Amino acid sequence: MLDTTTPVASWQDVTVRYPYQPHVSAGPATMAILPGERLLLLGPSGSGKSTLLQTLTGLIPQTVLADVAGTVTLFGQEVGARHPAQWASAVAQLFQNPEQMLCGMTIEDEVAFALENQGLSEPDIRCRVNAALDGVGFSSAQRSRRTTTLSGGEKQIVALAALLAQHARLLVIDEPTAHLAPAAASRLRRLLMAAPATQSIALVDHRLDGMLGLIDRVVTIDGTGRVVDGGEPRGFFRRCRGMLAALGIWVPLAAELDAALAAAGIVLERPPLTMEEAIDELVALPQPQLALALAVSRSFMPRHCFAGRDRGLPGEPVAVLSEVHCAPPFGPVTLRGVSLAIRRGERLAILGPNGAGKTTLGATLAGVLRPRHGRRTGALGGLCLQNPENQFLTATVRDEVLAGLDGAAEHADELLAGWGLAGLGERHPLELSEGQKRRLALAAVTAGPARPLLVLDEPTAGLDAAGEVKLRQRIADLAEQGRAIAIVTHDLDFALRACPRAIIVAEGRILADGPTAELLSDQALLARADLEQPAVMVLGRWLEQGLC
Amino acid sequence: MLSTLHPLPKLVICCVWVMASILIFDATFQLLAIGAVAAALIVLERRSPLMVVALMVPFALFGFGFLTTSVLFRHESDYALRIARETPFGGTALSAGLVLFLRAIACGMASALFVLTTDPGALVKAMMVSWRLSPRIGYSLFSAMHLTRDMASEAQQMRMARAVRRGRPPRRIPGPLEMASLVVPLLAYAIRRASRTAIAMEARGLGAVPRRTVFAAPRYRPADLVFAVSAVTLLVLAAGIAGSAPNTLSKIVSTCLK
Amino acid sequence: MNTQNSWTLREILIVAAIGATFGFLYLGWVQVWLISQALFGPVTMDVMMGFWFIASIVAAAIIRKPGAALLAEVLAALIEVMLGSPAGLLLVLAGLVQGAGAEAVFAVTRWRDYRVPVLMAAGVGSAVFSFVYTWIRFDYGALAPGLVVAMFILRCLSGALLGGLAGYWITRALYRTGALSGLRIDRDWREARA
Ligand SMILES: Nc1ncnc2c1ncn2[C@@H]1O[C@H](COP(=O)(O)OP(=O)(O)OP(=O)(O)O)[C@@H](O)[C@H]1O
Ligand SMILES: Nc1ncnc2c1ncn2[C@@H]1O[C@H](COP(=O)(O)OP(=O)(O)OP(=O)(O)O)[C@@H](O)[C@H]1O
Ligand SMILES: [Mg+2]
Ligand SMILES: [Mg+2]
Repeated sequence: MLDTTTPVASWQDVTVRYPYQPHVSAGPATMAILPGERLLLLGPSGSGKSTLLQTLTGLIPQTVLADVAGTVTLFGQEVGARHPAQWASAVAQLFQNPEQMLCGMTIEDEVAFALENQGLSEPDIRCRVNAALDGVGFSSAQRSRRTTTLSGGEKQIVALAALLAQHARLLVIDEPTAHLAPAAASRLRRLLMAAPATQSIALVDHRLDGMLGLIDRVVTIDGTGRVVDGGEPRGFFRRCRGMLAALGIWVPLAAELDAALAAAGIVLERPPLTMEEAIDELVALPQPQLALALAVSRSFMPRHCFAGRDRGLPGEPVAVLSEVHCAPPFGPVTLRGVSLAIRRGERLAILGPNGAGKTTLGATLAGVLRPRHGRRTGALGGLCLQNPENQFLTATVRDEVLAGLDGAAEHADELLAGWGLAGLGERHPLELSEGQKRRLALAAVTAGPARPLLVLDEPTAGLDAAGEVKLRQRIADLAEQGRAIAIVTHDLDFALRACPRAIIVAEGRILADGPTAELLSDQALLARADLEQPAVMVLGRWLEQGLC
Repeated sequence: MLSTLHPLPKLVICCVWVMASILIFDATFQLLAIGAVAAALIVLERRSPLMVVALMVPFALFGFGFLTTSVLFRHESDYALRIARETPFGGTALSAGLVLFLRAIACGMASALFVLTTDPGALVKAMMVSWRLSPRIGYSLFSAMHLTRDMASEAQQMRMARAVRRGRPPRRIPGPLEMASLVVPLLAYAIRRASRTAIAMEARGLGAVPRRTVFAAPRYRPADLVFAVSAVTLLVLAAGIAGSAPNTLSKIVSTCLK
Repeated sequence: MNTQNSWTLREILIVAAIGATFGFLYLGWVQVWLISQALFGPVTMDVMMGFWFIASIVAAAIIRKPGAALLAEVLAALIEVMLGSPAGLLLVLAGLVQGAGAEAVFAVTRWRDYRVPVLMAAGVGSAVFSFVYTWIRFDYGALAPGLVVAMFILRCLSGALLGGLAGYWITRALYRTGALSGLRIDRDWREARA
């Protein structure tokens, strides 16, 4: 029978220090995961979430060297009693960077690998592999492709399928949706919701809008890796919104609205986790309060949509693609007959499903990737790659930003501090947390040589709320200077806030081009492109309907 | 067609052909061997003849070294001549260099046939099942084999990143200096990838259970037997033709040269 | 931690990766050698031979465990054959002999010392072993003794410089990229600096 009191996993005063680092990198942390519980671990970027999760099966310190103090217990046993590989039958882990997970096999083998290692029978494995790949929506024609030829999001989907196929008692999932298109993220949520009640889940994510319905309990750690607070999500976000904001941790939009309403004296009965829930509550309000709530909501809207002057259109084009065929390096043509112009000071969002060719289009637009057919005109642009690791060419964080700054060393420290990377100047760029890597890449590219065009590929993946604010502000500054900026992103709320213009890439071409808010309210278009309405638009639609 | 065969018989057959090419010091045989591999690639694998010819170029370049060496430097041709006299099918070769040249192409093409038509994953799985290769060694070989294939796209990524930093679009084909400057970064990438793979494989339980299943391992089918028998028959035939008319080709060439 | 001579999965994979990369590079070096040989004559081989020992030097300097040198060199030869080296299967034997030469030198230091002179000595070890091998294969006994001595000296020099010293440079450059953190070389070099 299910024992609901002894935790499946617990950390007792755990601290981790990476080798030769002067400071503790994570902890001291004390927390536990109960059987069948779905725990969400929140914390600012670089606080030690990934590190703590990797101590759970002893990967740290047994495979990745580090000093670990305190005790980690798994299923009542001290974790060091077994080799990390021997925990794999009970604990399935998803690393933050999907490239860390995959070993370069075919999609099918990648999913089967963990099951082979457990010695399951072959028909059993076949059955589970098919179920897992069907579940995440990979067509059988693709299953013998090698994972090294997949797009960033497709890699993440395969890694997730491999995780789910393991049917482990404990799932440890680190930022599963960072590279997923909104509809793919919803599919994942449904899969996790359908998991048996005996399965416990420990989840880390920054962008949670869909995931919260799944969560039983939230635990927050602060910038130094200490556990500060936690609780059942509804009450928690209402109670701790201020603290979370101060730590730079992301808060769901519905909780922001809840707080705005509370400030106006309206207290919703049930703290909402999603915009839909919030609207349900609002509709039920009596009349005088409803009018006030409408007014509050209306003033809430513009804060989360693109505001400000749009200086993009009048400028001259900085890069033009005319009738271009785009193809990834050594890959087949993915986009045909693309014509696109981006102008001085313009901010353009590139949206679309996973594997549509957004990254390919971004690199072609920047002039880094040669089109297979057709012409690109304009100077070479800057490019921030989807996997920031591919971008680092030097051995220290400081050199990485200096490469663009023409040697102004004092300036480098200032720049790093601005991106929350103070004190990391001497570190190797690959020995950072994923969010820190992303910020470093963004800092280096956006401060680098003044290119007329910048292409940022998934800049929000791995960023916490503070990082996102910094990014938006930097983008606004650059646009103000007349630089054109193209942003490939799955974060539609971000696209809506940062970019007045968007294109949707799907079905091998540019499906739509227009004002972001307009495109994102076209339901039919969104469904075709694996996108979903961002939370603000849900509120916006309700307000419009309320008006008529 | 060839790609669907079981990798192990194919490996053994290719090795046998390579051995035969080394032992049978005869131009006719080498030509027949090259022809057989090219025909297999074009007819059975539906590769374009142009691609097959392109494939021969690097081996031909290497073989050309033997040709020039044996023509220009006595030492190597002495050696080759001696070998030629020793081998049963040899006879007195006038132009040993030519044989060495063709042998380089023949050996190269036989290996290339195997590499082109074999998936490293299937090879490793077959070795784990049939030869009881340890999974740790098996997957190390597997990632080493894939590494050489992925090196090109990784190099391309690095060139893109450098181009962005320099502000000049990358050249279509890297020059020798650029290639040399990529050696250490590529090696670092290879080592990093190996470290990462180790973590991923341990996290997913490699080596936890003594008896590991091998999923979708290649199976022996009648086609493998057909392939093995016909390849060996072909080999014997080719050797027979070469033996009955030793070094006709060399003779023709040398008469022409005279 | 990390004190016994048993290999971790990471180390096995790294040696495989080093073998594969150098197998690739060796094939390129073959072309360079061929061109030089056409230009400068047969002794060129001895002058350039050293580079073909480098995989064992680099692997041993990084992993610092018995067998690394041998394994890396054999793997590099295997990959070279797989990629279609025209020298054929005999190349694996050559790789085995060269790797054994380097391994023998490291064995003398009981796999404890990997400073530059030892690495250069390992290159010379490979050179000596490979010289014996080519002596048998190409019948050097029939050549003029003066030429053989010159070839031997050139090959040893090449082993020390193109193998040992260049191997050390590559290892150092690799160390600077941070890819070697957590390996034995990392521990030893940090201790040496402290
Ligand atoms: N290999 C490493 N060597 C040294 N320090 C490291 C290494 N990896 C991570 N760190 C440091 O340890 C701290 C915790 O990193 P971790 O990856 O656990 O953060 P995180 O909470 O997961 O952040 P993110 O949200 O950005 O992924 C960070 O300050 C990071 O700089
Ligand atoms: N080397 C390759 N060989 C074959 N196909 C490739 C290769 N690289 C990428 N592809 C394919 O090209 C398509 C476009 O890839 P791209 O990375 O541009 O997608 P994307 O829109 O950025 O996706 P994501 O949102 O997942 O990052 C994908 O379907 C991918 O599978
Ligand atoms: Mg993390
Ligand atoms: Mg992409």
